Amino acid sequence: MATFEWETLSSTAPAARNRTPAPAGNGSDGAQSSIVLGPRDRLVGQLYVEGDVRVAGTVEGGLEVTGSVEIDDGGRVTGPVTAQDRLVVGRSGSLVGDVRVARLVVQDGATFSGKVSMGKQVEAPPKPVEPPVAVPEPVKAEAPVKAEVPATVAEPVKAPVPVKTPQPLKGQRNPQQFQSPKPPDRKGKRR
Amino acid sequence: MDVQEAVAESTSVASAEDNGDARRGGQRKFTMGPNDSLEGKLVYEGDVHVDGRAEGEFKVSGNLDVAQGATARISIEAANVTVKGQVEGSVNVHDKLTLGKNAKLSGDIVVRRLQIEDGASLNGHVRMGDIEQHGSGG
Repeated sequence: MATFEWETLSSTAPAARNRTPAPAGNGSDGAQSSIVLGPRDRLVGQLYVEGDVRVAGTVEGGLEVTGSVEIDDGGRVTGPVTAQDRLVVGRSGSLVGDVRVARLVVQDGATFSGKVSMGKQVEAPPKPVEPPVAVPEPVKAEAPVKAEVPATVAEPVKAPVPVKTPQPLKGQRNPQQFQSPKPPDRKGKRR
Repeated sequence: MDVQEAVAESTSVASAEDNGDARRGGQRKFTMGPNDSLEGKLVYEGDVHVDGRAEGEFKVSGNLDVAQGATARISIEAANVTVKGQVEGSVNVHDKLTLGKNAKLSGDIVVRRLQIEDGASLNGHVRMGDIEQHGSGG
């Protein structure tokens, strides 16, 4: 019995060791991948890479890369590109799509069209700060209540109660509120 | 005619005839210094060098360059534009736009050729192609 277990362990150990590089490569501190799409290669879809990507072929879709993206040697990308480090559009490269990058290099001769977002600016900054959206919820709650009116008479009174009082988040504590060890769970009761 | 209704706030822009407005090989040049400032609309036949602080609208038949350290909140239309400082506003370039390594540009761009050096910062839409405009093309 013991030998059998030992044999099993010893036989799986090398196999596990062989497999480890693959998961380690996905980790941030592991070897990062570097993908090259040659002139005759073509990708249609979304590509996420932890590492660098070099496009000399055609990409139709989105590129999201933790390293840098280089588009050159006739490379063409149609779609959004996100690079945590750098995007280079070489002199024979073409990129049509919105771009979110830390660094951007466009060489003379390159084709590039799209929206560029660099730095800490968040997309769509002009939007004013909205107050917590509590208005549409009562309306939403009322609709089914109204529908239920002919069926049950007592229900409409009960229904708005849990909706009206916003449930306090677990992290939030109001010192003025009486703190009971077990807060009444109305929703659970109703159900 | 609101042509050249630029408001000069410092001496050297005011004396552009003497210092700033120089001719180089037949091409006129409007040159601002680092302490100059300009607010308003400038329509100029020739090249313009923007330094210091500029605000408004620049329509230039030649080349326009924004010096390093300059702050410009302007909309630009020019044949070629080189940015080494900060620009906020739309940029229409008939030929080529170059963003230097310290350039900061936020605004929409219409351009035929584009060159961005590493280190430059850009926020806005980029559209490559010819500018739709009447009159002097190319």
